[in-house]
Amino acid sequence: MTAGTYRQNLGDVLGDLTVRPLTGIPVAFAVLYAFWSIFSSFAGALVTDGFMVKAFDNHWLPWLQEAWPDPASIHYFLFVGDPLAENCFEAFGMLTSGLFVAIGVVLPAIIIFYLMMAVLEDSGYLPRLAVLMDTVFHRIGLHGYAIVPTILGLGCNVPAVTATRVLETRKQRFIMMTLLAIFIPCGAQIGVMLEVIPETVGWVMLYLILGFGIFGFILDRIIPGSNPEILIDVPPYHWPLRENVAKKLWNRTKSFLKDAVPFVLFGVLVVNVLYLAGVIGALADLFEPLFVTWFGVPKETVGPLVAAFLRKDLAVAQLSAIAMTPYQMITAVVLVSIYFPCVATFVVMLREGWKELAAAVAVLVAAVFIYGGLIHAVGILMGVA
Amino acid sequence: MFTLYIGLLGLVTLAFGLAEILVWAGASPGFSIGILEIAGDDFFRWAWGGAILVFGGLFMLGSLRGRGTMEQFGKTVLGAAMIWIIASTDIFARLCESIPAGEEAPEFFNSVAGFVGGFAPPYSPAILLLPFTLGIVYFLFNGRFDEV
Repeated sequence: MTAGTYRQNLGDVLGDLTVRPLTGIPVAFAVLYAFWSIFSSFAGALVTDGFMVKAFDNHWLPWLQEAWPDPASIHYFLFVGDPLAENCFEAFGMLTSGLFVAIGVVLPAIIIFYLMMAVLEDSGYLPRLAVLMDTVFHRIGLHGYAIVPTILGLGCNVPAVTATRVLETRKQRFIMMTLLAIFIPCGAQIGVMLEVIPETVGWVMLYLILGFGIFGFILDRIIPGSNPEILIDVPPYHWPLRENVAKKLWNRTKSFLKDAVPFVLFGVLVVNVLYLAGVIGALADLFEPLFVTWFGVPKETVGPLVAAFLRKDLAVAQLSAIAMTPYQMITAVVLVSIYFPCVATFVVMLREGWKELAAAVAVLVAAVFIYGGLIHAVGILMGVA
Repeated sequence: MFTLYIGLLGLVTLAFGLAEILVWAGASPGFSIGILEIAGDDFFRWAWGGAILVFGGLFMLGSLRGRGTMEQFGKTVLGAAMIWIIASTDIFARLCESIPAGEEAPEFFNSVAGFVGGFAPPYSPAILLLPFTLGIVYFLFNGRFDEV
């Protein structure tokens, strides 16, 4: 019997260099840069700004406004929205804003996001990122593979909650699920943020990343349970197979179309009914002292916050129509992000266990109150709030 | 010769990366010299992207010690990959902006002249560095480094 000799090739060396912190972290920054650059160029500049805005605002909206009977009626308000609106973001009807957000903004964002995610997974880079992030995630009670639900959550929180099953203990799954629900904005929300408030997205993301770290650290200390070490199998780099990437992309997009799109359309309908019934106005009056004094945002933001339970992306679009200072806008968007998981995520979290959901909601209420107040305090100290 | 080439490329990449960060930080309102442009108007592109070019330059310079080993050539390739990432995303951004017609235009697609015009100079430093990394590609396929 003879033993073969190991011949290191360039792929092995590159694989090794990308898991060493000194070289791997800059590469991770570069990969994330490419990820977001391609995401915003494709979903933002090409599909949404280039074609969808024109198709919806210049063709679909005027046609619907003219064809739908009786602009003063309730059904017109529910389905078409504002008869004087000049674009689909302002109309807020189920077939105008709802359809535009679902098809025009969120779908292209989701497709390009999941395509890049599949390429990263199948090329062998994601396990290396898990190795690199292992030390960081251990500080918040998780391990390197928590990067999978974290990145998935940036697409849609629904599959991300399911992906928390890659974590070993109940403690880890609870921490990840809670952090996902609070601090990870979904692709829909990011897509709308890039569309309506592009200049403040960086600050919003910074506050969310900081919150992710701070609350993860606190949760790790107060929640009983273990945080075991894991062994990660790191495959060699290879070209992703087109069939596998296409299959993953199709399955994930199909799941999004089935699980999330009905919530977008139904969400607009319910929000409009709540506005008509005066519920949102009453809630705005009730919560005015909390919002104005504690969070430092205008009373009108209560409406979008209620809507955020149904669709966070729509809530951001609603916020963009409210007169605010840039810092108030950052605070309000961070509040929308951390305030409550959307209904679809809520349902999936419920499937994982009602006790976990109840505990996550309790953490969430505390996080919104403390973190919202903290952001306001930072703004006061900086003289911008 | 290869060492000199990598050293020069690393230094220029490092200098361009630092320049992008400095312009973004307000050291200059943005400048355009011939076909080179650093606008510096956006954190994501110029500060983050500039930092990646800085790392690319450092990787190439760091690969100069102990040339000829597979590990050092790996660092050179990684440095070049940083340039490829920034340049390819810059080109992809231009492509995505050039396909549709302008916001005010009634038609959906850009004219051929408008599309080609989208790729006209000035260019970002990473795009200008792109042809100079071809030497690394040549060595990647012909340098027989996998036999070291």
